[in-house]
Amino acid sequence: MSAPLIEASELTKQFGSVQALTGLSFQVMPGEIYGLLGTNGAGKTTTIKVITGLVEPTSGWVRVGGFDPLKHPIEVKSRIGYVAEKPILYDSLSSRDFLEFVASIRKLDQNAANRMVTQLADAFDMAKYFDAPIATLSMGMKQKVALIASLVHQPPVLLLDEPLSGIDAKSSRIVKDLLSLHTQKGGAVLFSTHIMEVAEHLCTRIGIIYQGEVIAEGTLDQLKSKTGSRSETLEEVFLKLTNEETEVADKTRILGDVFFNNEAA
Amino acid sequence: MFSSIMKLLEAWRLSRLPYKEVVYRSIADERGRMWWGGFSRGGLGGDAQNDYELTKKALRIAKFDKSLVAIFNVLVAVIPFTAQFFGSLILGLTSAISLSLAVTFGFTALYSIQTFSSFVSAESSALLSTLPLEQRDFSLITLFSFVRSVDYIVVGAILSQTILVAYYTGSPFAVLVMLVASVVNAVLAVAVALWFSRMFTKNLSRGGRSKGNSVLRLVFIMLWGSLLMGVSLLISLPWYILPSLETVLLSSSQFSTLLFCFLHPFSAGITIANLGQPVTAWSTSLIAAVSMVGYVIVAWFAGNWMLKTVKRISHGTGVKMSRETAKDFSIKTRKPLLGYILKDLKISSRNPATAFFFALPVLETVIVSFMIANFEVLRASTLLVSSFMGGIFVLLMPLALLTAEGTGLEYTKTLPLNVNRIITSKTLISTLTYVPVPLVLLVMAFLKPLTSSLIVFIPFFVVLAVASASIFEIQLFLSSVTTGKIAAIIHDLKKLIVGVTTLIIPLAAYAVVFFVSFSHVFAVFVMGGASASELALAVYLLRRNK
Repeated sequence: MSAPLIEASELTKQFGSVQALTGLSFQVMPGEIYGLLGTNGAGKTTTIKVITGLVEPTSGWVRVGGFDPLKHPIEVKSRIGYVAEKPILYDSLSSRDFLEFVASIRKLDQNAANRMVTQLADAFDMAKYFDAPIATLSMGMKQKVALIASLVHQPPVLLLDEPLSGIDAKSSRIVKDLLSLHTQKGGAVLFSTHIMEVAEHLCTRIGIIYQGEVIAEGTLDQLKSKTGSRSETLEEVFLKLTNEETEVADKTRILGDVFFNNEAA
Repeated sequence: MFSSIMKLLEAWRLSRLPYKEVVYRSIADERGRMWWGGFSRGGLGGDAQNDYELTKKALRIAKFDKSLVAIFNVLVAVIPFTAQFFGSLILGLTSAISLSLAVTFGFTALYSIQTFSSFVSAESSALLSTLPLEQRDFSLITLFSFVRSVDYIVVGAILSQTILVAYYTGSPFAVLVMLVASVVNAVLAVAVALWFSRMFTKNLSRGGRSKGNSVLRLVFIMLWGSLLMGVSLLISLPWYILPSLETVLLSSSQFSTLLFCFLHPFSAGITIANLGQPVTAWSTSLIAAVSMVGYVIVAWFAGNWMLKTVKRISHGTGVKMSRETAKDFSIKTRKPLLGYILKDLKISSRNPATAFFFALPVLETVIVSFMIANFEVLRASTLLVSSFMGGIFVLLMPLALLTAEGTGLEYTKTLPLNVNRIITSKTLISTLTYVPVPLVLLVMAFLKPLTSSLIVFIPFFVVLAVASASIFEIQLFLSSVTTGKIAAIIHDLKKLIVGVTTLIIPLAAYAVVFFVSFSHVFAVFVMGGASASELALAVYLLRRNK
């Protein structure tokens, strides 16, 4: 059996008085798209930042391709492609300038980089925006630039934090197909999202992250079996596992009373 | 009437919202400073995670900056009058008023340029546009948010100038005219800044790859740099021209006096001084007064243009972005260091707050040329002082380059990049901006006799010291994270002190050895050794980085 490409063990992270991660552990094997599924503030972004080496964990450890991001940052960063939740790039650079910078730092071959960028930019319909400063691009366009930058060096590990937010349906489909192809060739993807449909259709395995730890993981069927019903959607499974089903029902009832009863009155 | 006042007060209160947005945008790059800590494995602090705290901090910083600039503006407005207070004959009221107006014009424009770029480019009123407000109220609120950016600075200058004229002349009419002149001065300064910010943002926002656009951007960056450099010269040069200014302004026989009568702020200076006590021929004062009325009319039009521009911004049509379709998606890959240098050059030249650093070589060359032009023989002391003066400007460059990274740094930190490459890139850029100084000195060495031919090496050794100082400064910057403005200022001062000390050591080594041995050969040799040792230490520290 091959070694995991991403491994996190007992990760904790404290930001002042906020405990963002509370003993989170999981593994992503080659050929897997692992979906980190959680509510806002559950710890998905912090987890991905710890794996990239952007944030140092308070305790626990991470390995990417067998390397520790803190002890071997260059080795880890050479093996990852990262898309942040909010695409924070250099606003005054154009997409072309930015991709030239990324390709230069990654020491990519000119022809190979050109080929990749040309194909990706063409697929994402970037012609009108390729030479415009990033500051002037829409959120979706910025996300596309970040996606191209994460794929241009064909890394074995992709760390994608809500990569489809703001992206049009066509590009979104292209990204999903690309991720499937990537895993077919032995790559691994860690994909964070709070959109159930995306996780349900794209991910090989799903880790449900709640209050800083993975409370359940497995394939969709395995998760369903944990709740004891095989006919439920991922959303229903998620709400049951996070014990939020009753809370959601109560809040919907209260909101319904406030809005519709007032309107009727 | 009462309801109108209430409406204005309410608009003023609401204008705080778009003003906050402008402030936050202009200071958001401070966030990048916090992220530098990640290189020393410090990670993100709790504050950096909290946008609400960050916004409050940005506002506190903005208030602090605005107050500091306002105090400084009042000081520079007052200084030209102080010579008269102490009974100096060098400076009369005419030149005091003119200089005070000129310098406050420069400072107001300089500060406004830094803030207005955010005002012009940000959708500062986007939040308000979702509220059920009438278009007139909406424009009024946007106008007030614009006024908030410069309120302390403008009011401080106007009040101090008016009070000083009241004190010196005791003439109510002179005070009234001074008030008008100060307001005109402020309106013109703000209008110039708004025009520049608009042009800068417009031209940078255009993007595009055509040569025409690239040239246009370069022209505007140079214009931007020249303006800021001009302001710097405005601050320093008056002190050189002061002794002759009063004579020139008040001499009735010279053509130059006539010329000054037509120029703002000299026309105001001559007019107001004559209202207190006649100091020039009546014809001169008349021409100056007519000219001043002309500037009042210009300021009126400038004010109207500003109102229209601010209104356009509030309607979301401030700056039109045009996009060119890319003909191809080809990219050029380079060696990582060159790639990083090019990125640094692009982002810092496109950032209004750092673009003017590219005018540094010109500024340094001008200052060094000024300093040595009057010497018949080039002495070691002259070269030491001129090299040091040029070097001092360069020490600001590494910090500016680090700040220009802004929030984009978070992405860079996910790339397989050794921190040494970042330091090397910024050190090379900083050092290159200093190179014109030794070159100018070398040219001067050919034109003027030297006390010893070996002293021509002095500025070249200073190049090594400048490189070492840059490395030390950046190392210090990367090694710690600061939060809070005061801590950041103290921290920046520490870096500058380390930089200045690094620059001084080889120069001091030369001076000490020469006074002991009276040998230029020995002193130059020791200075070379000191500079080389500093660089060796800097490179050693650099190599220790992971």
